[in-house]
Order: sequence, then C-alpha cells, then structure tokens
Amino acid sequence: MTSLSGTDNAQSSLWEKLTGSRFLLKLSFGILILGAWEIGVRNFAAPFVARPLKVVEALPSVLSDIAYWSATWSTLWSVIIGLAIAMVFGTLIGLLMGRVKTADRMLDFYVNGFYAMPMIAALPLLTVWFGYSEEARLATVVFAALFSVIINVSDGARSVPREYLEVATAYRANRRSVWFDITLMSALPYLIAGVRLAAGRALVGAVLAEIFASIEGQGMYILANARGLQQNEAVVGVLMLAAFGLTFDACMNGVLRKWFPWYRRDGGKGS
Amino acid sequence: MFSSDTLIARIAQVCLSLFIGLAIWEIAGWQFNAAHMAPVLGSDVAVTRWIAEMITGGAKLQEHPGTLPRLIEFAQEGDFFLALGQSLGLFCTGFGIALLIGLPLGILMARLRLMRIGLESYILGLYATPMAALIPFILSIFGFQFWPKVIVVVLFSVFPILYNTLEGARSLKPEMIEVARAFRSSERRIWIDILIPYTLPFALTGIRQAIGRALVGMVAAEIFLNNTGLGGWLVDSSRSFDMAGVLGAIIVTTLIGVFLMSVVRRLEKRFAAWRGTGG
Repeated sequence: MTSLSGTDNAQSSLWEKLTGSRFLLKLSFGILILGAWEIGVRNFAAPFVARPLKVVEALPSVLSDIAYWSATWSTLWSVIIGLAIAMVFGTLIGLLMGRVKTADRMLDFYVNGFYAMPMIAALPLLTVWFGYSEEARLATVVFAALFSVIINVSDGARSVPREYLEVATAYRANRRSVWFDITLMSALPYLIAGVRLAAGRALVGAVLAEIFASIEGQGMYILANARGLQQNEAVVGVLMLAAFGLTFDACMNGVLRKWFPWYRRDGGKGS
Repeated sequence: MFSSDTLIARIAQVCLSLFIGLAIWEIAGWQFNAAHMAPVLGSDVAVTRWIAEMITGGAKLQEHPGTLPRLIEFAQEGDFFLALGQSLGLFCTGFGIALLIGLPLGILMARLRLMRIGLESYILGLYATPMAALIPFILSIFGFQFWPKVIVVVLFSVFPILYNTLEGARSLKPEMIEVARAFRSSERRIWIDILIPYTLPFALTGIRQAIGRALVGMVAAEIFLNNTGLGGWLVDSSRSFDMAGVLGAIIVTTLIGVFLMSVVRRLEKRFAAWRGTGG
C-alpha cells in the first residue's frame, strides 16, 4: 500500500481527473476573463479602448511591421547588455562584500540605499547626464539591475560553507582559486536568482526610460500607439513585454532547477 | 584589544563610509557644471565655500547650489510638505487598496482549488509583466487626476502581494485544516486562527516587494500623468536644470523607501519564527 503522503497524492490526482485536466481549467478561466473584457469594453467603454477580438485583428499587421521588430529588438538588446554589465560588476562587488567585512560595512549602506531607491527617480538625472539617448536607457537598465545582483551575490558569498574554505586553506589553495573556484562557484545559484529578479526590474527600467525620454523601443511603441488611439496595436506591445518577462523568468528557473537543484531560498530579496 | 568587530569599530566604519560617500558627492558636485550635478552643501554654505575658495585661490568661483540648502529652502517655503503629503496620500491610498485586494484574494484562492488552478498562471503572468507599459493606457482611458494615479500604484503593487500570499497560504499543511475541521471549527474560525496567522510572514515578503514597486508606480504616476508631489517636483527641477532640486527629490523618495522597507523587514523578522524555517 502507499504511504500516508502517497494516499494524499493519489486522492488529489483522482479529484483532478474528476474536475477535468488542469489545462482545460486554465483555458476556460482564460476564456472567461477575455470574454468579460470583450463584453465589458464593448458595452461600457469608449470605442478606442482595446479589446481582445480587435487585438487579434491587429496582430498580423503589427507582427509584419519591420519598425515594430526593430523597436522590440532595440529594447531587448539594451536589457541584455545592461544585465550583462550589471552581472559582471554586481558579481565583483557582491563577492567583495560577502567575503571582506570592511568592504561590507563600507558599501552596505549605499547598496541598500540604492536598492530601495525607486529607479524611476534616477531617470531625470540619467537623462541629463547621458542625453535623451539609448545610453540613458542602458544606464537606467544597469542601475535597475545592479543592486539586486550585488545583494544576492553577497548573500551567496557570505553563506559559503566554512568547511570549503578550511579545506582550501589546508591544501594551500592560492587566493585566486579561493575567490573564483570556491566562493564564486558556491555563490553562483544566488547570482542566477539575483539576475532573475534583476531582469524584471531591468525590463521595467527600459520601458520607463523609453517613455520618459522618447527612445525608440517597445515602451515608446506602446506610448505612441496608445496616444494615437490605436490601443489594440499597443496591447500587442504589452503582450510582447509580458512574454519577455515570463520567458526570462522561466529560463532562469530552469537553469536553477537543472544545475542547482539543491538551491532553495524562499522569497528572498524581492524586486 | 581592538578587533574589527567591536561596536565602536563598527560605528566608526559606518561613519567613515558615510563621510567618504558625502565627500565624493561634494567634490563631484563642485567638479561638474551646476546644470549636471549638485554638491551636498555647495556654495550656499560658508564652510564649503571657504574651502573651495582656498583651493581655487579665490579666482572666479562659480555658484554650485547645494542639495541640502535647497531642501531646507523648499521646506521653509512649505511646498515640500505639500509635495510630500500629495505623494504619501497617493502611495497610501494605492497601497492600501492593493493590500485590500491582494491579501484576501490570495488566501481565498488558496482555499478554492478550482480558482487557484484556473487563475494562478494568469496572475504569474501579470506579476512578470512590466506594469510601466500600462501607464499610457491608463492615461488615455482614465485621464490624469488622482484616481487614475491610484490605479497605477495599485497595478504596480497588487501582484507581488497577491502572488506571495497565494503561495504562502498554499504551503499550509492540509492536516492543520483537517484537525480544525475535526474539532468542528467553522470556516470563519479557520481563517482567523489558522489561515491568516500562517500566511502573514509569507505575505510580508510580498508586501516588501510591493513597497518598492508601489514607490516606482507613485513616482511614475506623478511624472507621466500630472506633475504633483515628489515626482512632480523631480520633473519640474530637472526641466529647469535645478540639479539640487532633482537630487533633493531623489534623496527624499529614497529615504521613504528605506524607511518603509526597514519597517517591513523588522516585521518579517518578528514573524519569521512562525515559518519554522527561520525566515
């Protein structure tokens, strides 16, 4: 016979079969939501307001538009580059803060302060420094992403098991391999979790920068279309952004699960 | 014995780090054009002015309005408290609504299996969507008065609360409810005695995330919808290249963020013991 927890699972899967598959359930809820949106907007809102059927209608024309793809690529590219920069510097600073007490005390105040600072507040300053240009967007992305990487990596470096370091010392490992082969390697899953949080913030940063400084990209595309009363086209842009967010999240989760199955850390530093 | 771990050494290190940071800021403020960067104290304060005159030899000293004097001036005019009040009013209304929606709905969804399975992935999707992209829609549909701005704050903050509450309430062991049932506990008592206390620490994690986002939403609403409060002050200052004003507004919003997050972090620590994992 199955164990106690086993019967529990068996029961719930039976119940699942009775209520139909999860997929069908999700699908029907989705249809319900979209239906409510469609009917609600059709009856109670101004004609320009986006609704699902019109969005589907707008889909082919938007997706075959080269300008749309160049805007998408522009946003995506700056997020990727910005994340890469934030990863490199965030890892270095994070390792330093995790392992060197003085560095931690000197920088902790600033890292936490910048982390708590709403990134959009930095936008006016960044646009003055970098101009109303793509560099300003890149700077916003780096700024939005950097501090969650630092915080996570320093947590990771702090929680390197003591034994690892002791063994390394006992075998007279050199400094470089203590830092990179041991500390960095055991902080790696924290780094990935940090990047996962950072990616969400980076995407928001990129969109806000585009809207604020009128930089070509997905955010600007949405703004221009929503202003021009072409909300259905703009919704396609929002869906694209949501897809980016979800894809990235899923990728990072997959990496964590595949290569670092022992990594468990609930909630943590949120974005 | 002066190890680097005594309290005094620790305080000294923090003070030193603060001093170095402020010094770098002050020097940067003097180095750059006043339209690009403002120092902390600047040319309005006698001490820093005197030091600057000493260094440059008193030759054609440019004006560098300081951030701190600008903040004090702003506070004396009374505009500061107006802006702060507007921003906090917006923040509290929006965040309060997000709490009122997110917490009960999260627990309810954990209780109703059908609803949870049906809606969970959509909530996760909305959680991952950059809400900033919805601001143009809100602007064109609802306009730019107080309530549309509240909608922005709610949108930014409701999903972390909802998602974390749901995940927390879900992790409740079914045995606990079964025991309560066995003792003929009513649904109301189950909520009050089990579900709400159990979920609270998890919800706090979401609330802390939501505070950060709600602040971004607040400033975004004030910048993109109509210019009021701290966000409005930020934009007005940056338009007139008043960098002292820009930095002042940034400092004030950051302080609000740091304060609120530290309050929630303290609450989290207080309730972490309930979680069993030690937080």
